[in-house]
Amino acid sequence: MKRYDCLKILAAEINDALVVSSAGAMTLEWNSLHPGDGNFRVRTLGLCSSIALGMALGLPHRKVVALDGDGSLLMNLCSLPTIARMKPANLVHIVFDNEVYEASGSKKTATGAGTDLVGMACAAGIKNSQWAKTDDQFASAARAALRGSELCFIGAKVTTERTAVPPFPIDEVENKYRFMRYIEKSERIEIFKTNLPASYS
Amino acid sequence: MQITGAEAAKILVNGLKDAGISLIATLPDVNMSDLLHEVEEAQDVIHVPLCREEEGMGICAGAYLVGKKCAAIMQNGGFFNSNNAIVSTLLQYQIPVLLLIYYAGDIGDRTFGTTGAMTEPVLQALGIRYYIMRDIDDAPELIKRAQILAEDSKKPIALLMTKELLGRRSALKSL
Repeated sequence: MKRYDCLKILAAEINDALVVSSAGAMTLEWNSLHPGDGNFRVRTLGLCSSIALGMALGLPHRKVVALDGDGSLLMNLCSLPTIARMKPANLVHIVFDNEVYEASGSKKTATGAGTDLVGMACAAGIKNSQWAKTDDQFASAARAALRGSELCFIGAKVTTERTAVPPFPIDEVENKYRFMRYIEKSERIEIFKTNLPASYS
Repeated sequence: MQITGAEAAKILVNGLKDAGISLIATLPDVNMSDLLHEVEEAQDVIHVPLCREEEGMGICAGAYLVGKKCAAIMQNGGFFNSNNAIVSTLLQYQIPVLLLIYYAGDIGDRTFGTTGAMTEPVLQALGIRYYIMRDIDDAPELIKRAQILAEDSKKPIALLMTKELLGRRSALKSL
């Protein structure tokens, strides 16, 4: 499968789900297909699934999708048992496994040598874990995960092919503020409280 | 003031709740066992038991981004484990999180001397403001102030917790 095609399928199903994407080209591809302030780009390799877990726990009625990579998940494997333990029904963890550290010079990851991430997710206790092997399988797994209310883990073996897309247009701090303002607006909550200066009180 | 671990734990968790903290990520240390028990029992707090402290930085960051005030409770060894996430997520994105760090290797401790020696220098190198909590009487006020500072500076703030604070055996009794 091609990652870009899977992301295209996902973009058609995403609605107002919050999307956390791992460092690398996948983030750029996702943002070109589905630009918006509900997208959060991760800079720490490995932390994608943990940040998504935090969001899912903090907003339990809102769907949260983690777009992870094999190199990233391998760096933070302990995220799997923690996610399984917390079991947020609104979290969908998708791993695009291209078997290389794509953003770091394309050296082979452990999944290229046989490590099975879906097997690991299952063994960690995430019961609804599956491989999607074709575009159709990915589409039906993604649709079921987004429409359902159960913690899901989807592995998708993809090629190393990249699609030429524009760069991510904003820096980390702007990404944060836009995302949080979007949460304030869409959830009708106030996160940033502005205090009146002492001279006014 | 000399009090029991269970009493100290209640005061600390109430202090965190009063400061508005509603998600706490933890990893155990024997000196914090009463504290973590109190976190487990706390109402209105999401408790996330971790496998490794670094993932806790991501979990706290994610929860903050959707409006929660978060704290992570760990030993100083776990703080060292978390450094990449602290730098490239918490500091890079300017995300406030309270870091409650058990100060292993503190003055008078018979173990973890190297860990203790590196704790404050690493916090300083990261530009993280920190305060040492020794007296439980001061703790609730310090926690509240630290949370204000974290939100105001948009940075993690560290509170180092000593054995005395946690109501554990006084270090001097082992002399």
